[in-house]
Amino acid sequence: MSRRLRQYLPAAAIFVCVLAGWELVVRAFSVKQFLLPAPSAIVGALLEHRDELGAAAASTLYEAVGGFAIGGVAAIAVALATARWTTARSALMPFAIAANSVPIIAFAPIMNNWFGVLNPLSKMMVVAVLVFFPIMINTVRGLTLVDPASLELMRSYAASELGILLRLRIPNSLPFVLTALKVSATLALIGAIVAEYFGGAQSVLGQYIITEAAFFRFANAWAAVVVASAASIAFFVIILALERLAIPWHASARSPDA
Amino acid sequence: MRATRVFALGMVAALVFGACAGASAPGGTTKVRLQLQWVAQSQFAGYYAAAAKGYYKDVGLDVEIKQGGPDIVPQQVVASDGAEFGIAWVPKMLASREAGADLVNIAQVFQRSGTLEVSFKAKNITKPEDWKSKKVGTWGFGNEPELYAAMRKAGIDPNKASDVTIVKQPFDMSLLLNDQVDAAQAMIYNEYAQVLEQKNPKTGQLYQPEELNVIDFNAVGTAMLQDHIFVRDSWLKKSGNEDIATKFLQASFKGWVFCRDNQTECVDIVLKAGTTLGKGHMTWQLNEINALIWPSPNGIGQVDKAAWDQTASISTTYEVLKSKPSDAAYRNDLAKKAADALKSSGADVVGASYKKAKVAVTAGGN
Repeated sequence: MSRRLRQYLPAAAIFVCVLAGWELVVRAFSVKQFLLPAPSAIVGALLEHRDELGAAAASTLYEAVGGFAIGGVAAIAVALATARWTTARSALMPFAIAANSVPIIAFAPIMNNWFGVLNPLSKMMVVAVLVFFPIMINTVRGLTLVDPASLELMRSYAASELGILLRLRIPNSLPFVLTALKVSATLALIGAIVAEYFGGAQSVLGQYIITEAAFFRFANAWAAVVVASAASIAFFVIILALERLAIPWHASARSPDA
Repeated sequence: MRATRVFALGMVAALVFGACAGASAPGGTTKVRLQLQWVAQSQFAGYYAAAAKGYYKDVGLDVEIKQGGPDIVPQQVVASDGAEFGIAWVPKMLASREAGADLVNIAQVFQRSGTLEVSFKAKNITKPEDWKSKKVGTWGFGNEPELYAAMRKAGIDPNKASDVTIVKQPFDMSLLLNDQVDAAQAMIYNEYAQVLEQKNPKTGQLYQPEELNVIDFNAVGTAMLQDHIFVRDSWLKKSGNEDIATKFLQASFKGWVFCRDNQTECVDIVLKAGTTLGKGHMTWQLNEINALIWPSPNGIGQVDKAAWDQTASISTTYEVLKSKPSDAAYRNDLAKKAADALKSSGADVVGASYKKAKVAVTAGGN
């Protein structure tokens, strides 16, 4: 426990110092709240509007997780196909790269028209496209970057392609996949919030931020940002826990400074 | 701390510069900046005309017109000294004021609200009560109070999903045209025309006004004051700046008078100012904008007390503002002085006889 404490102490100390300094600067120089609200004002806003913020965060998280699942499943499926068949790789890769290059600002309105602006699926699809590429590229890398000696060993035992996939390639790819999932978890939330800017339901974090900022209630807008960050961290931690479960043997799960 | 010091240095520099500019005033020009709330279009024709026709130069001003956009909040720009003059809707400026920005309305250019809630005839939405249980669009971005006030007046709670589904719409009319909302918010000078500029796939002809139901917030009684010119109060209090502000208003008003009396030429000025929208659309827009300004019964730029009180009371009732704004949030004296000066040179600053022209809608607004 004390080791844990020592491990988290620097981060906690910096967190407290930054908050205290921020509060102090805002008060000492009476910085206008539309330039930078004080942490105390943000916490106040957080408490005052917890119901609205909670409802908005739930909708946004639903979009982010849904899009993450769609994009993740599609990315892994494509990665498996491309790792297995070289033809599939050369056929699909250009489209994957093209999909990755589509700017959200062009893509979000199209998704709104396809799936309906009020349908959460329109936001999920934006998230799915956003997370697809990092997950796919990393999975392909994990599936193909296997130790040649291991591959030779498998082949010398006349293992089938399926056997090689299940016993060698997939276990080898897991650290890569999980790293990609961690990156994508935070990306998913960003994607959902940006997609919300292009219209749709009212009770979501993106629209909440727009509305409050438009009326100069920046403490409320910052409170929504805090909630978004917290949701993002929670999502990240869930993937992290998943990683420890899936690959307890990997170095990243064992070393204390992971 | 650093930022404050830089800010202080900036203030000193501004003071020194201001003093120098003041000293070299005879023959020289004073540089000021105007922050618009949207991209270049006929909504701001008067200012572009004043610049193009040399009205600003005539009063000794060199005006830089800064375009706006969805990511630019003019109140923030003016409050942080990014511009001397700003254009915004009144409730948005009042909300900024309440948050501590020392802004003051010095000219209420638009006398009427230009906001509509538009729907197709088939939806049979002719009055606010008909929004009940419907999908009703608004842009958000601070443009929703008129709509929400009208809803509450009709017994509909915009925050209750069982009463109405509020849809945040993008800044175009795609949701209405694709039938994703039952009613959509539209400015009479912009999005409303965008619908009329589209072809109805059923008839192959442009949509006709007869195919639409329009709810006008002026008629509902929840209209709020919109485009006005505001400045920082602390800037205005500095010696000489009231004079600069009055001159700015005088030239700007002259620009608006020009755009009322010379619509074709004025549209050309707007097109040259770099608007991305077509000539047909800009012609429609200027005609509608003129109708929001003229007639100005007490002279251009004057705040009508009744309209102000309605704006203030809706803002407080529907929680745009926490408390009633003080009357110090606006002043009429500078606009009066500017309009009087213009009047004595023979200009009509009331426009009592102004009548909207019939502008033919062009496909795609080109």
